[in-house]
Amino acid sequence: MKKRNLITIFTAAVLVVIFVLLLFTFQVRQSQVAVVTTFGKISGPPCSPGLHLRWPWPIQQVYKFDQRIQTFSDKFSENLTRDNINLIVSVYVGWRISDATNFLNSFPNGSIEAAQGQLQSLLTSAKSAVVGDHPLSDFVNADLQQLKFDEIQDQIEQTVQTELRTNDYGIQVEFLGMAKLGLPESVTEAVFTRMKSERQVLISQAQNEGRAEAIKIRANADRQANETLADAEAQAKQIEGQGVAEAAKTLPIFQENPELAVFMLRIKALQDSLNQRSVLIFDQRTPPFDLFNGVWTNAPNP
Amino acid sequence: MTMSDEHEHHHHAHAHELPVPAPLPMTPDDAGSQAMSEALRSSFAIVKFVMVALVILFLASGIFQVGPQEQAIILRFGKTVGTEQQALLGPGLHWAFPYPIDEVVKIPIRQIQSVQSTVGWFAETPEQELSGNLPPAGSSLVPGVDGYAFTADRNIIHTRAALYYQVDDPTRAVFYFSDGPGSPLGMAGVSNAVQNVLNNALLYTAAHFGVDQVLYSDVGGFQDAVEQRVIQLADQERLGVTIRQCSVASIPPRQLQEIFDQVTDARQNQAKVLDDAHSYENQVTNNADAQASTIINEARSAGVRYVQSVQADAKAFSDLLPNYKINPNLFEQEQLVQMMGTALTNVQFKGYMPTTANGKPTDLWLLLNREPPEPKTGAAGQE
Repeated sequence: MKKRNLITIFTAAVLVVIFVLLLFTFQVRQSQVAVVTTFGKISGPPCSPGLHLRWPWPIQQVYKFDQRIQTFSDKFSENLTRDNINLIVSVYVGWRISDATNFLNSFPNGSIEAAQGQLQSLLTSAKSAVVGDHPLSDFVNADLQQLKFDEIQDQIEQTVQTELRTNDYGIQVEFLGMAKLGLPESVTEAVFTRMKSERQVLISQAQNEGRAEAIKIRANADRQANETLADAEAQAKQIEGQGVAEAAKTLPIFQENPELAVFMLRIKALQDSLNQRSVLIFDQRTPPFDLFNGVWTNAPNP
Repeated sequence: MTMSDEHEHHHHAHAHELPVPAPLPMTPDDAGSQAMSEALRSSFAIVKFVMVALVILFLASGIFQVGPQEQAIILRFGKTVGTEQQALLGPGLHWAFPYPIDEVVKIPIRQIQSVQSTVGWFAETPEQELSGNLPPAGSSLVPGVDGYAFTADRNIIHTRAALYYQVDDPTRAVFYFSDGPGSPLGMAGVSNAVQNVLNNALLYTAAHFGVDQVLYSDVGGFQDAVEQRVIQLADQERLGVTIRQCSVASIPPRQLQEIFDQVTDARQNQAKVLDDAHSYENQVTNNADAQASTIINEARSAGVRYVQSVQADAKAFSDLLPNYKINPNLFEQEQLVQMMGTALTNVQFKGYMPTTANGKPTDLWLLLNREPPEPKTGAAGQE
């Protein structure tokens, strides 16, 4: 019977050890932090990841908290800007339990939902305060220098952060940013109407500008062409002048006998003037028709 | 094993001792108890076997496989075993104590991950997008349902982005970012944070871009600016990711699609009108240039011709001068008659009108509006 007992005892011992371990120890995961309460009162600093000893329930109770950053998108709310424009703003917050003891003290049973509810109300009031401090041109602006987008985000974050710290919620905001930025539904319709008329302006602008610019280009082209031609004609005149000057160099030759020169010029001029469309009428005094003189005319012979 | 051996030994001795002090004929009692002990003995053997098997199974359940695209970290009683890089187990078979001692966390290695933006686009389901059967656009946009972005010139546009990124330090991402309270250890948390950053980048970038820049004139610039903003925010929020690629698509509100298209048409038309004007410009200036060079060339050749003709005249003059000097009068007559002869062959209409008897010229009436007919065989170069 001894051996039977031994096995039983061994098995029992193993079971007891497991049971005791389950009752008297707890594990904290790498991403977690734990707070131990003794008869409801927090005892000792939060436990880091690993295996820890505890007294079983109801003496001690262990609260484990996720210490990772939780991203939380808040509900959008309507806020008036400084220039009285209704903006719908929603932000996202990356938050973390920075002090598990304070966190447990602030929220019943360390409820994450309760913490998010608290964050939501802090965000709502922070948003309304900060948005009310800025005109719409701080939210949207073509000039990056005047765009206060980041400042607005920082101000909301600072406001919430300060609230969290002064109230010792044990929560820390790691980052915060705009998640939504919009307008109330009725305003979007008005924006559409405005956008439509802006488009209409752009359409007529494109048409008129195109036409005006085209006219300008054409007129400019004509002017340029005329200038080119005028230049060419001026140049042609100059070339002609140069030709005359060049020709003038031969004039001294004609000086040798001006009578002949003049005669030749006259003959040439006469030759040039008698083109094929001329009508010539002669009387008998013109050579060579003077040969007719006295041959068969009725003129009296001198 | 030594313990197990001892058990066997004791058991053996015991079995021998029992029958020795009682060599009596077997009573039903004895037979019963013996059968009982036999049964017990065999059942104990089975229990033992099962226990050993259970222990082996228990230990074997600690074997796990790490795939080629992942690494693993062992948490012993919740705490990471090893530090830094030594904590990471590569692909292959590994062993850890079974639950609840050890817990294995699998971590994907640096793979390209992707997220889509969730703000900025109107409400539609993926099926609707695939089929192209979009829900009809209402006259307004409902906050919380229809997404959009607000541009610097206070226009509403729809825009969406797809972002591809790599997690630099997967271990940190797994233990640092949560995807909601109590969510399992994984990459969902960091993916969520990256998505928020992407959404923010779209809103921020649209807030300092004009609607026409986003939609038409600076589409690439808008996309780059979104990517830059994502990089800046990811760095600022210490998400520990490297952005690989960001692609952005934007459209005007569906309610205004038609009039936006009209603007595009008008602009294209404007470009066409300008193109026409420019081609006219080219044509006119080119023509003028060609004409100008013709004028100049003509002037040049006319100049050359003139000089040559004057020189030819001069040469003729020099040639004729000796003859002229011999008898100027005869020379002149000769030249004149010769010229008249040539000239008269070219003149179409010739009239001879002898003088009247009293020496006075006759009155002559000519019909001058009639142009004389051109000669059939006109000599060229007479003009």
